[in-house]
Amino acid sequence: MKIKIIALAAVFAAAMMTSACADKNDGGVLTVMGKESDLNKSYMTEIFERYQQQTGNKLKIISCKDSDFEAAAVEKFNSDSAPDILMHFHNADLNRFDVENDFYFLNGEDWVDDLTDSARNYCQDKSGNLLGLPYWENSVSGCYYNKTILDSLGLRPATNQAEFDVLCQALADTGYTPICWPADGCAWMVQFALDPIFADDPSMLEKINSGEITFSDIPEVENMVSWIAQAADKGWFGDSFLDCGWNGISRSMASGDAVMTFIWDTWFYTDLEEGGKYGVNDFALMPVFLNTVDGGTFEGGNLNMMMVNKNSERLEEALDFLDFCATPENYNAAFEGISTVSCFKGQTTNIQSKMVVDAGELIAEKERVSTAASRIVGYSADDMVNALNELFRKKVDVKGCIELMDKNLKAEAGNQAADAF
Amino acid sequence: MKKLFGRIIPVISVIAVCAVVITIIAAYFNFISQRIYEDSTSHLYEIYAQVNRSFGSFVERNWGLLRGWGRYFSAVDDDEAVAEFVTRERDYWGFTELYFISADGGFITADGRKSSEPDGEGFSAFIESGEPTMSGQTLPNGKGVTVFAMPTERSEFRGVEYEAVAISYTNDDLASSLNVDAFSGKAKCFVVDSDGSVLLSTRTGGSVYKNYIQYLGAASDIGEEGLESLTKDWENGLSGLVQCKIGGEDQCILYQPVGYQDFVLLSAVPESSVSAGFLSVQKITANVLLAIFLIIGVTAAVFLIMRYSSEKKSSSIELQYRELMFSVLSNSVDDIFIMLDSENQNVDYISPNVERLLGIPADEARKNIRALEKCAVNYNVVIPKSEIEKIPLNGSICRECEYMHQSTGERRWYRMTVYHSSIQNVEKYIAVMSDRTGEQQMNLQLREALDAARSANEAKSNFLANMSHDIRTPMNAIVGFSVLLEKDADRPDKVKEYTRKITASSHHLLSLINDVLDMSKIESGKTSLSSAVFSLPELLEELGIIILPQTKAKDQDFMIHVVGAPPEKIVGDRLRLNQILLNLLSNAVKYTQVGGKIEFSVSEIKQDAPQFVKLRFAVKDNGIGMSEEFVKKVFAPFSREINSVTNTVQGTGLGMAITKNLVDLMGGIILVESEPDKGSTFTVELTFALPEQGVEESRVESRIRRMLVCDDDEDICLGISEMMKDTEIDVSCVTSGSAAVGAAVSAHERNEDFDIILLDWKMPEMDGVETARKIRGEIGHDVPILVLTSYDWSDIEEEARAAGINAFMPKPFFVSTFRQTVEPLFTAPEAPSEPSEEESKKIMNGLMFLVAEDNSLNAEILTEMLKMEGADCELAHNGLEAAEMFEQSPKGHYDMVLMDVQMPIMNGYDATRRIRASVHPEAKTIPIVAMTANTFAEDVRNSIEAGMNAHLAKPIDMAKVCETVGRLMEKKRPQKGESEE
Repeated sequence: MKIKIIALAAVFAAAMMTSACADKNDGGVLTVMGKESDLNKSYMTEIFERYQQQTGNKLKIISCKDSDFEAAAVEKFNSDSAPDILMHFHNADLNRFDVENDFYFLNGEDWVDDLTDSARNYCQDKSGNLLGLPYWENSVSGCYYNKTILDSLGLRPATNQAEFDVLCQALADTGYTPICWPADGCAWMVQFALDPIFADDPSMLEKINSGEITFSDIPEVENMVSWIAQAADKGWFGDSFLDCGWNGISRSMASGDAVMTFIWDTWFYTDLEEGGKYGVNDFALMPVFLNTVDGGTFEGGNLNMMMVNKNSERLEEALDFLDFCATPENYNAAFEGISTVSCFKGQTTNIQSKMVVDAGELIAEKERVSTAASRIVGYSADDMVNALNELFRKKVDVKGCIELMDKNLKAEAGNQAADAF
Repeated sequence: MKKLFGRIIPVISVIAVCAVVITIIAAYFNFISQRIYEDSTSHLYEIYAQVNRSFGSFVERNWGLLRGWGRYFSAVDDDEAVAEFVTRERDYWGFTELYFISADGGFITADGRKSSEPDGEGFSAFIESGEPTMSGQTLPNGKGVTVFAMPTERSEFRGVEYEAVAISYTNDDLASSLNVDAFSGKAKCFVVDSDGSVLLSTRTGGSVYKNYIQYLGAASDIGEEGLESLTKDWENGLSGLVQCKIGGEDQCILYQPVGYQDFVLLSAVPESSVSAGFLSVQKITANVLLAIFLIIGVTAAVFLIMRYSSEKKSSSIELQYRELMFSVLSNSVDDIFIMLDSENQNVDYISPNVERLLGIPADEARKNIRALEKCAVNYNVVIPKSEIEKIPLNGSICRECEYMHQSTGERRWYRMTVYHSSIQNVEKYIAVMSDRTGEQQMNLQLREALDAARSANEAKSNFLANMSHDIRTPMNAIVGFSVLLEKDADRPDKVKEYTRKITASSHHLLSLINDVLDMSKIESGKTSLSSAVFSLPELLEELGIIILPQTKAKDQDFMIHVVGAPPEKIVGDRLRLNQILLNLLSNAVKYTQVGGKIEFSVSEIKQDAPQFVKLRFAVKDNGIGMSEEFVKKVFAPFSREINSVTNTVQGTGLGMAITKNLVDLMGGIILVESEPDKGSTFTVELTFALPEQGVEESRVESRIRRMLVCDDDEDICLGISEMMKDTEIDVSCVTSGSAAVGAAVSAHERNEDFDIILLDWKMPEMDGVETARKIRGEIGHDVPILVLTSYDWSDIEEEARAAGINAFMPKPFFVSTFRQTVEPLFTAPEAPSEPSEEESKKIMNGLMFLVAEDNSLNAEILTEMLKMEGADCELAHNGLEAAEMFEQSPKGHYDMVLMDVQMPIMNGYDATRRIRASVHPEAKTIPIVAMTANTFAEDVRNSIEAGMNAHLAKPIDMAKVCETVGRLMEKKRPQKGESEE
C-alpha cells in the first residue's frame, strides 16, 4: 500500500512537472485547483486548514504558477483529471471552459441569500446562474474625493455628470487639479466608465466579443473619449499629467494638489503616501463620471470564486466544502482583520473603509460588476491608455483614438485566441 | 537724397493719417464701451430684479398655499381626505413632499411616512422661530431640496400632533423655474443666505456649490475685506455689484435681497456676457467701420493690384514673348546664353540649346553651372568662379575655350564673355558663349593651308634646289664628258671611258625624270590601277632577278622567304606592286653596306573575306637605318637623310614618296621600323582579290607520289610541306645534306625510291651539289634531283648538272614554279632557248621602219640606232605625214611603224587610228609601236586602245626595241599572207 501511495505521488509529481502545477497536499481526496498566488492568500490557507481540522477531510491543493494556470486548468477539464473545485475569476478566460457542462450552478445552495448583491451579481452569469462561491477580498472603485478640500471651498460632491463638470471647473478656478489622471498610471480608470455600457446591457458584451460591433459603434464610448479630451484640454487633469505615473497618484492625493481620482478603497490603506497633508479620513466616495452614464457608476471588486466541477465523483463533498466556507463562523474566521468590502451579509470581522460605508446607499444604487476589463475578450487596460495618450499628444483625434482602441482590442483578442489555441 | 526724401514723405503721411484715425476710433469705442457697460449693468440689475420678483412671488405663493392648507388640514378630520388632497395638490403644484411637523422637529408625510428627525436639519429651529421659513436640505442620495414651512394651529394627522406644515421642492425643479436664459447661459444664479450657504442654484450642475462665500474666497480675487463687505451687505439687505476675477475670468457678482429671512439672490455673470448684447452692437459697428475701411482698402488694393497686375501682366507677357523669342532664337543659333545670380552664381537662366550644343541637359546646368566645365577640353581655360567675382560692375571678361559634346564627342569652340550688370540694384552676371567653331575651323584650315603653302613652297624650293643639284650633276657630267669626248676623240680608251660615264649620267638623269614625272602623276590623281590576274611567284622571281645582281654587286646576302602558303594567283595591279617592292628592295640595297643582309618575306595575313587575300611584304635590312626624326618624314617627297653614307648614294628622294602614294592608292598600309646603324624594316600590307579557282591539273602529280625535301632552314621545309598539301604528293623533309643522302638511300634500299628530290643549294656541312653527287653515287640517275636556290646559279650550273642535278628552281618555292620546273623532266625535251643577241640582230636586219618623230634629234638618234641594227627607216615629221606615207606605200614596203605620240598636226594615236582605218592592205596587220616619253600605264593603255601593238618608252633602249620588234615580227611572220587583224 505504501508502495502504491509512493507510486501515485510519483505520478502526481510527473503531472505537476508536465502541467507546471504543484500539489500542495497529497493526502486529501477533495482537489482544489488555483493559482499559486491566489491559494497562498492568508484567508484561503486559513479556510483550508480550518476545513481539514474540523471535518477531518483532506484537501488536495493543486497550485499552478500564475502564468500556467489557465492552460493547465483547461487541459485538466478537457481530460479526466479535472479538480473537484476550481478557483477562478469571472472573467473572459472563463470562456475557455464549457461552463454549462463543466460547473455546477449553485443557485439552490443555502448560503446564496447571505451573499451581498454586489458579490452575487459578480458571480452569476447572464442567465442568473450562480457560478461559484465568492471568496476574496472585495473593494469598491469610484471617484474618491478630498472632502476636506471640497468643504473648505464651499463645494459639494457631484450627483450627476453636469454637476461633476461644474465641480471640476470650480476646482480648477480655485487652483486645484480637479482630477488626478496620471497618463501612464491610470490603466483601470477607463474601465469604470465602460462597465455601465456592458453590464447594463449584456447584449453589448456579446456583440463586442463576437465582433459584431466595435467601440466605434458605441456612442457612449465616443462621449467618454470626447469628455476625457476636453477635460485634458481644460486642464482638469493638471498641467503635468502626461508625465505622471502610478506613484503620482499617491503624491498628488496626499499633498492635496489633486482633489479627486478614480480608484478603489483599499488603495488608501495600501498605497496612499503616509505623512502627507491628507490621510484616508479626508476622503470620501462619489460615483465615477466619465460621461457614459449621467448618474455615474461604481465598479465592484473582481472576486475569485470557488467553482464546483459538475462531473466530479466527489460532487457532494465539494458542495459540502463550499457550505463550510460560506458558514458565517468560518468566513468571519478566515477574513478576520482583512480590509475588504463584505461579500457576505454576515461578514463582521473584516475591516470596511468608512468611505465605502458612508457611500453605501449610493454604491448599492450605482455599483456595476467589473465587466469591461474582465469580460471583453482582448480588453487591455494598457492598450486603452496608450490610445488615450495618443489623443492627449494630439496624434489622433477622438475618432482616431477610438479606432486605435478597436485596433488594439482586435489584435489582443487575436493574441488571446492564439494563446488559447 | 532728394529722391529718398520724396519716397519717405508719402509713407510717413499715410502712417500719420492711419494713427490719427485709429486713435479716434479707439477713443470712440472706449467711450461707447463705457456707456455700454453702464447700460449693461443696469440691464443686469433689471433682469435679476425681475428674477427676484419672480422668486418672491414663488415664495409668497408657497406661504399662501401652506397658510390655506394649514387651515384646511385643521378643519378636516378625515386623514385619508387630507392625504388625497395633498396628492392632488402635489401633482398640481409640483412640490415633492408635504410634511406635518411636530413640535420636536419630527414629521409625518401625507402618505404616513414618519420620522423622528426631518430629512435634513432645520425643522427644529424653524419650530422654535414660529415664522414662515425657507431652508435648504440635502437628501441621503446627495440631492438638494428647498423646504418651505409655515406654522399652523396645533392639529393632528394620523395620530401625530403637528404645529406646522411644510413642502419641499428639489433644487433641480426650482432651478429650472428660476433659470435665466440671458447672458448666453453663462450666468450663475443662486439663492444664498447671508453667510453664503447656497439654498439653491438656478444653473444645471450648480448644486455643487455649497457655500458661495467660501468658494469666492478660494476662487476669486475679492479678498477677505471684500468678502466681509459682501456678507455685511447681505446681512443688511443691501443690493450691490462686485467685479472680480474667477478662474482668470472677469465676473460681475450682483446681489439683491430676496426679502425673506436674510436670503439673497446672487448672480455671477462673466463680464464679457454682461454687455455681450451691447458689445455685439459695438462689435457690429466696429465691424461695419472695419468693413468700410476694408472695402475702401480692398478697393484701393484691388485697384492698385489690378493696375500693378495689368502692368505686370503686360510686362509678363512681354517677358514671356521675349523669353519665347529668346528660346526660339537660341534654338536656331549655336550661341549659349546664361544669366547668373551675382551672390552665389546660381543659374537664373540658361538657354535650352545647351543640351543640343554640349550634351548637358539644361536642368542639370541650371542646378550647377559648373556642369559645363566637364565639357571643356582644356579645363584650365574655363573662367573660374573667383575670376567672375572679380569682374567689376559693367565690366566683362572674355575667354575662348574648346568644348566637347558629352554625347556625340563633337568639338566646338566658344568665346565666353561674362558681363557684370546691374538693373535696379540687382546685380547679375550674363555670360554669352559665342560659337566660334566655324571661325576656328577656318582659322585652322587657313593655318593648315598656310602651313601647306609654306611646306609646298619649301618643298618647291627644296625640289628646285634638289632638281637643280640632281639634274645639274649628271648634266654636268654629260656636258663635261661630251666636251672631253670631242677633245679626246682620237683616243679610243678615253672615248670608251667618257662614253660609259656619259651613259651612266644619262641613265641617272632618266631615272630622275621618271621619278619626278611618276610622282607628279600620282599627286595629280591621274594614276589609276589596273586589275588583272597575275602570278605571285613570277613577280617574286622577277624581283629576284632584278635585285640579285645588285646585291651580288655589293656582296650582300639576299633572301626571299615565303611564309605559309599564300595563293599564287592574285588579282591586282602587278606593275604597281612590282614598282612598290622594287623601290623598297632597291632602297634596301642602296642603304645597306657591302656584305650586309637583306631579307624579303611574303606572308598571308588572316582575314575573313574568302574572296580576298591580304599579303604582307616585308623588306628587312641591316643597313644604315634612319634616325627617329627622319623616319617621321621618310615618305615625304625629296626626303633624304643627310649623312656621310647617304651623301654617297644617288637618289631623287622621291622613291619612298611614290611608294607610299602607290600603297595608299592600293588601299594598303606601309610601316617602317628603323634604327640608325641597325637597319630598317619596311612592311607593306595589301589586299588582293582572288581569281575564280579552277581545277589545276598537272601531269606532275600523276607521276610524283613521294618527294624528299632537304633545306637547312626548317621553316622552308615546313613551308614547302604546307604548300604541297593540296597536291597528293607525300613530302619528306630533312635539314642536312647527309640526312638527305641517308633518306634517299634508305628509300632506295626498300625499293621505295622518292619520285623526286629537292635540295637547297647552300647548306652548311654539305651543299646541294655535293649532296646530289652523293645521292647519285648511291642510287643512280633514275630519280630527278632539283636544286632550290635564291642565288644566281649560272656560275655553278655546269658543275651541278655534272653532279647529277636535273634542274634549278628559284626560291621562294611555289607549287606552280615547281610544276613548271618539274614537268619538262617527265614529259618533253627542253624548250628551245631564247634567241641570242646575234639572233635578235638578225631579226632587225633588213627591216623597213616608218618612223614618225617630230623631234629631229630624236629622229636622228633612232635612225642611227636602227641602222646600227641593220634596219632602215623612212621618217615622217608628224602623224598626218606618217599616215599618208603608210597609205601611199605599197604592200610590204614597211615592216613596222615606230610612232611618236606627241606630235604637231596629228598625234600618234590619231595617226594610228587613221592607219588602222585606211584601205591599205596592211592597215590592220602592220605592227605599230608607240615610242614616247609618255611612260605611264594610262599611256600604254591609250596606245593599245588606239590600235598600237606595243609601247616603248623614251629614251630609246635599243635592247628593248629589238626584243619588242622580234616578238612582233615573230607573231607577224606566220600570219603573213593571212587575213589581217
